[in-house]
Amino acid sequence: MTDMNKRVSGAPGRTSWQREAVGFVLGLAVLAMLPLVFTDSYSRHILIMAFIYAMVASNWDLSLGYGGVFNFGHLALFGIGVYAYALLTKLAGMDPWVALVASGVVATLAAVIVTIPILRLKGIYIILVTFGFAQLVMQIIISQSDITGGTQGIVRIPGLYIFDHNMVRDGKIGYFGIALTLLALSTIFLRVLVRSRIGASIVALRDNEEYAISRGVSLVRQRMITLAASAFFTGVAGAFYAAYQRNASIDVFGMSLATIVLSMVLLGGTGTIYGAVIASFVLTVFAEAMADFGAWRPMITAVLIILVMLVYPSGLVGMIQAAWGGLGGRLRRPT
Amino acid sequence: MGALAEILFGGLFQGSLYAMMAVGLALVWTTIGVFNFSHGVFMMLGAYLAWQLVAFGLHPAIAFPLAILATAGVGWLLQATVVRPLIGRANLVLVVVITTLAAGSLIENGVLTIWGPRSKQLPPLLAGNTMIGSIGVSLHQIAIIVVTPLILWALWMFLTRTRIGLALRAVAQNEDASQLVGLNVTALYGLAFAIAAALACIAGIFMGGYRFMSPVMGADPLLKALIVVVFGGISSISGPIFAAYLIGFFEAACSYYFGLYWTPALLFAVLILTLMVRPEGIFTSRGRGLA
Amino acid sequence: MPILSVEGVTAGYGRVTVLNDVSLEAGRHGNVGFFGPNGHGKTTLLRVISGLLKPRSGRIFFDGEDITARSARAIVGTGLIHVPQGNRLFPDLTIADCMALGAYSARARPHEAENREKVIELFPKLAERWRQRVRTLSGGERQMVSIGTALMSHPRLLILDEPTLGLAPKIKDELCASVLDISKGGVPLIVVEQDIEFLLELSSQLYLINHGTVATEIKPGESIAHSEIMSMYFGH
Ligand SMILES: Nc1ncnc2c1ncn2[C@@H]1O[C@H](COP(=O)(O)OP(=O)(O)OP(=O)(O)O)[C@@H](O)[C@H]1O
Ligand SMILES: [Mg+2]
Repeated sequence: MTDMNKRVSGAPGRTSWQREAVGFVLGLAVLAMLPLVFTDSYSRHILIMAFIYAMVASNWDLSLGYGGVFNFGHLALFGIGVYAYALLTKLAGMDPWVALVASGVVATLAAVIVTIPILRLKGIYIILVTFGFAQLVMQIIISQSDITGGTQGIVRIPGLYIFDHNMVRDGKIGYFGIALTLLALSTIFLRVLVRSRIGASIVALRDNEEYAISRGVSLVRQRMITLAASAFFTGVAGAFYAAYQRNASIDVFGMSLATIVLSMVLLGGTGTIYGAVIASFVLTVFAEAMADFGAWRPMITAVLIILVMLVYPSGLVGMIQAAWGGLGGRLRRPT
Repeated sequence: MGALAEILFGGLFQGSLYAMMAVGLALVWTTIGVFNFSHGVFMMLGAYLAWQLVAFGLHPAIAFPLAILATAGVGWLLQATVVRPLIGRANLVLVVVITTLAAGSLIENGVLTIWGPRSKQLPPLLAGNTMIGSIGVSLHQIAIIVVTPLILWALWMFLTRTRIGLALRAVAQNEDASQLVGLNVTALYGLAFAIAAALACIAGIFMGGYRFMSPVMGADPLLKALIVVVFGGISSISGPIFAAYLIGFFEAACSYYFGLYWTPALLFAVLILTLMVRPEGIFTSRGRGLA
Repeated sequence: MPILSVEGVTAGYGRVTVLNDVSLEAGRHGNVGFFGPNGHGKTTLLRVISGLLKPRSGRIFFDGEDITARSARAIVGTGLIHVPQGNRLFPDLTIADCMALGAYSARARPHEAENREKVIELFPKLAERWRQRVRTLSGGERQMVSIGTALMSHPRLLILDEPTLGLAPKIKDELCASVLDISKGGVPLIVVEQDIEFLLELSSQLYLINHGTVATEIKPGESIAHSEIMSMYFGH
């Protein structure tokens, strides 16, 4: 727990490489053990969904938290991954694993395209344009119903395979393994990136644009890198989602999904990567725990999101820190 | 001739709806500096409130104004709960996006729970149809085309000719200085939200009169309003109004010549091109300010 | 009895403390001047007095009433009017709009016409540019609009934060003369200035604000040599 807390609260680059690696491997080991505890396929399904959300949210944290680029089209990149995989496997007959990687590439290209109109924009205008981009990708998918199925979506998408392992009747252990591997790869990619020189210059650009530019950081290149890097595993996550669910629908472009994932990023506390991952687990499990509330569930979730945002400006991380600080204070007081 | 009439009529009609929505977004942005993502939900809520009042047996001439007032009240309340307490936060814009989205989801699901998913329809402003040249149009649409400029004109007069309008414009420009002349900044923020919500409600009443209503009916108008404000520049009221009509005409022309199929893609292409040439919109001057 | 008294005020921004236990009084008669090095908390003190910034501790009395907890708007309603530093104002409003805003409070509204006469008499230049936007005015004219707007609020005590900042000598002299006129008209002033000579001419009581505290106070009647002030200013 202590280790977890340090990892969350430590500013990027503060914790040493070795310590972070140890924490990472420990965390990964714990997650890999979970199927031993949760043996039913329903619990495993929840975990797989949490891993997918965690990938999408933590990659969003790269552009939003580290880059300070308010990309509200992030979920469109996920959606593009979903549809790219569906079309590549179903229409073009591509091998599912190749299509999985190709979907990441397609999402990356899409991110590069969105970067062009927002290169010279600031703050609110970036939100508006990227949001518009997301909605228009959806409109285009709806209107090109001949190949995309329009509002009906696409069904019977080929799934992934592991040699001749039976992916259907394995209690979801196969997909669990793939999801966890993808999440691990994505997290390593993000952490290595933000701890690198590139990561440092991304943050420099966010914190003081004029100064960074005067020191030779290129705004154009940096924004391009930030968005493209945040897109690849988001697209892969979309492709995996399509392979896992075996269908694609335009719901992935909806406001409600975007709201939930964005709250994962903000609740986790921006600029940490791990925060978004942890918040994704917390929110997914929490949403499941409330399944009994039926129609009230989204309303309760909304109220809780608002409350956390009002009370803890820095999200769950701030909440954990406050609790930790309070505890520490109480422990220290007697001495 | 027929083509021109059709494009003109379609453009005026769509432009009216877009203007009604976009002006509210811009009003809130200019006065408070936040973006209200529950604006589309206000529109939907307004339409449902109007429907409920009509279902209670009230005449639309009473039900509609009551619904507008009630929606304005909800706008005020929303501002007081999820916007005002956050003013001063470093990442205000971002946090307010999430709180207004969450509040929107709350209202949307609330409406779904109360009124159910069955589609509903409002009585039109004017019943009946007529011909303009060779095209058949409903009187409801004509009423919208006529009423919208009147409402926008009234808003303009309110902002430029009244003391409270002056105060709203002042808050938009300098909050500290506004406090130092004794303006009630909190109340003015609430007022901006209330007016925006009222305008959204009117748009909802317009839309509910010719289309079926559903809890998600506000999503598409919000998107269009977003495009309008990107296009027209969000830092004024007049920019989005012009842009709304321009986009209305553009869409009408596109769907006439290329079909509905391609209109969204073309609109987006034009939007990107515009932003590459004029990043802050086409009708905008520098700085934030109403009028 | 003093018209304004500040008792043990501590204030700052976030975790930074700017003012540390500041106490001072401004008399009912005679003006008060603040001076001191840049960034040592003069503006912050004025912001606390006018309610823009809430102090962490300490109290402020205006005309015998405790105004510490009141909102900036309520404080304007008592007649304590603050002209902020740097004439940023409302760039897209006209002079006429600004004057109307100045008379926004219920207290000032009945006196609107009378105060407008006074402002125009004091700054005839403004009348010539009545419908011009503030952003198109010169620095001196903008300062006149700031002060004019404050006069429209019907002040019982007027606080000016560096009214002559960044003005050319000629304009500055004109503005100083206008400020003296306002004082002669019977409105007590609190003025922050870097120009000590002007402050000495204007006020009977001076405070040196240094490192967020009142370093030295010069009482009414005490005559002081210019050289003494200079030595206070630049240290011992
Ligand atoms: N809004 C703010 N947020 C954080 N710190 C601030 C803010 N305003 C002022 N400060 C800090 O408070 C200190 C005092 O500033 P203040 O403006 O009160 O000084 P001043 O004496 O008026 O200076 P000057 O003569 O330059 O106007 C400075 O260190 C300044 O950086
Ligand atoms: Mg100052």
